[in-house]
Amino acid sequence: MTTAIAIRDVVKAFGDFRAVDGVTLDIPEGEIFGLLGPNGAGKSTTIRMIMDIIRPDSGTISVLGKPASDNVRNHVGYLPEERGLYRKMKVLDVLEFQGTLKGATPRDARKEAQVWLERLEIADWGMKKVEELSKGMQQKIQFAAAVLGNPPILILDEPFSGMDPVNQNLFKDQILALHRSGTTIVFSTHQMETAERLCKEIALINKGRLVLSGPLARVKEGFGKNSVLVEYTGDGAFLASLPEVARIDDYGAYSEIRLEAGADPQGILRALSGRLRVTKFEIVAPTLHNIFIEKVGAPAVPALERVGDA
Amino acid sequence: MHSMMMVVRREYRERVMKKSFWIGTAIFPVLMVALTVGPMALVGLSGNKPQAIALVDGTKKLREPLVRELGDQKLKDGTPRYRIEDVPIAGTIDATRASLEGRVRSGELFGVLTVADDIDAENAFNFYGKSVGDIRSIAEFQGALRRAIIGLRFEKANVAVDKDVVAKLMAPVEMETFEVQREGGSTKKGFLGVYFGTFTFVFILFMTVLLYGIAMMRGILEEKSSRVMEVLLGSISPNELMTGKILGIGLVGLTQVAIYMVTAGALRFFVMAKFSGAEFSGVVSTFTPAKLVLFLVYFILGYFMYVALFACIGAVCNSEQEAQNLQAPVQMCLMLPMMATIFFVGHPDSLVAVVLSLTPIFAPMVMFMRICVQTPPAWQIALSILLTAATTWILFRAAAKVFRIGILMYGKRPTVPEIMRWARS
Repeated sequence: MTTAIAIRDVVKAFGDFRAVDGVTLDIPEGEIFGLLGPNGAGKSTTIRMIMDIIRPDSGTISVLGKPASDNVRNHVGYLPEERGLYRKMKVLDVLEFQGTLKGATPRDARKEAQVWLERLEIADWGMKKVEELSKGMQQKIQFAAAVLGNPPILILDEPFSGMDPVNQNLFKDQILALHRSGTTIVFSTHQMETAERLCKEIALINKGRLVLSGPLARVKEGFGKNSVLVEYTGDGAFLASLPEVARIDDYGAYSEIRLEAGADPQGILRALSGRLRVTKFEIVAPTLHNIFIEKVGAPAVPALERVGDA
Repeated sequence: MHSMMMVVRREYRERVMKKSFWIGTAIFPVLMVALTVGPMALVGLSGNKPQAIALVDGTKKLREPLVRELGDQKLKDGTPRYRIEDVPIAGTIDATRASLEGRVRSGELFGVLTVADDIDAENAFNFYGKSVGDIRSIAEFQGALRRAIIGLRFEKANVAVDKDVVAKLMAPVEMETFEVQREGGSTKKGFLGVYFGTFTFVFILFMTVLLYGIAMMRGILEEKSSRVMEVLLGSISPNELMTGKILGIGLVGLTQVAIYMVTAGALRFFVMAKFSGAEFSGVVSTFTPAKLVLFLVYFILGYFMYVALFACIGAVCNSEQEAQNLQAPVQMCLMLPMMATIFFVGHPDSLVAVVLSLTPIFAPMVMFMRICVQTPPAWQIALSILLTAATTWILFRAAAKVFRIGILMYGKRPTVPEIMRWARS
């Protein structure tokens, strides 16, 4: 497996705040790679360094074997977390411009833009001004702008934030189609459920440091099959007090239980019988969500605390 | 390179295709004419009706010569512009004047002229008018009065001189001015013509730089606030983006100036022929080909220098209000030479003019003014071009760096030392 993006000992500090603190990471070619971490972990900073928008204080980044500073942009499609479009321009003009920035001639860029508008089901809107479009449509335009020129690597920073389920599905299908055609996709998010479904490889970053990385399956194996999923009807509040339970995520009619080391899941099953009506009982590896919480401590480091630190 | 050209293309097309560009292009010369010729034209328009002036004359001899001297000033229909009404003195001169005040206030009288018994006394002549701001009328009237009084003085001194001889002796002396050219020969030039010619060019430079500098700054601020910037930076390097933007907006400015040049050239052939007055011929003689070339050189240098500065301001600020504060000193630097045009045109060789014309931030305007009036030594022109070009280049590099770092700063505006550090890094 060849490496699409190699990050070596990269450090980036803003004043006293070390946003990225010695990260080393290999992103394999042709995979969907999840760059995970809470808000403020350093994901976007890392991505900006890959894009050569900002430069690392130390360490190196290479993209497809070339240093990131060596104009790798034409090979990378980038959908930033903070995204916008020229509001006064026509949709096709915006896309044509974005396409030409990636190296295409205006004519070719326009043709490709039209293809993407059709794929994203907004072909009739090409001659409208961007500001006349709904938010969902603008998200589609932004996605099209990122994938124009068919770059071998696509970096998506929180691509699904603020998106309705219909668009999420549409984009997921497009991302999978690009993946099948061989595009390397780097996918930064703090939504663990989406990452778990899409990514084959992950890296978890917290406070600028790499916490764990590797193929998702192996990451999960490392935690063992020490979790239990239970679906039930009845009051499951007593579950938390069972001796075998290390931690519990209680969703009312559904609980995910992390077992104490060495505890026997059968003990839980015995405790359940008679008290709850169990519809499902499964011994599983922990979800990415639980791994995340265990490693990071909380689903999201409060943003205010970080600002205070910096 | 390709990406940069595409930025140039977008900036140019988006701006030139806009209606506002053409409206602005049309309004600009009107504004310029209004600012330069307007005030003078307004003064010249001082009504086309006779003006009555009451004369309270202590000498009792002034009426006849004054009427004669004012006789040349006629309205369009040929009747005299000024009508002198001799008011006999009732009591004192002052009391008589006071009795006329009501008529002055009502506008019936343009003014009252009081003349003391002794014309050689101090403050012998006083004019009381409703509006003493009508400079042209007052100047005409004062001229006539002066000539009339000189006649009286001859009489008083018992010098018997024929009135025609007096008129001959008093004939105004017209002096024509010529500028000695380096190539030999000389060009006829009048101060007013040179002043207007120079001011026209400086004003074009000033307006264009200000207009497109601010457009540049706004463009960057808008791209930052609408978050377009980071999307763009995924496809193009900050340096290329910056250079492309400056070149693109630069071409828009040049397009506008080219439109004016062509229009001015056409005017020169079709309209100027009709107005061959001294003022217009002065303006025309300022438009020599060599000067046009130098104008272009200084325009381009000055333009890029200031636009790079405005781009820096755009890159370090987050809102237009913030940018207002930072752009004020830059605007002052632009404004200063323009305000002082009359000084530089009058004293092109003064130390201040020479020093400022070699100081890059002022050079494009000040040196150009000097070139309009005289022919500065070639080494000074060369040095000022060199220094300005070097400064522009440094600013360009520094701006690109400040741009790179500042562009993604949302929130806090960096301090001046921080900006300096970025520019150096």
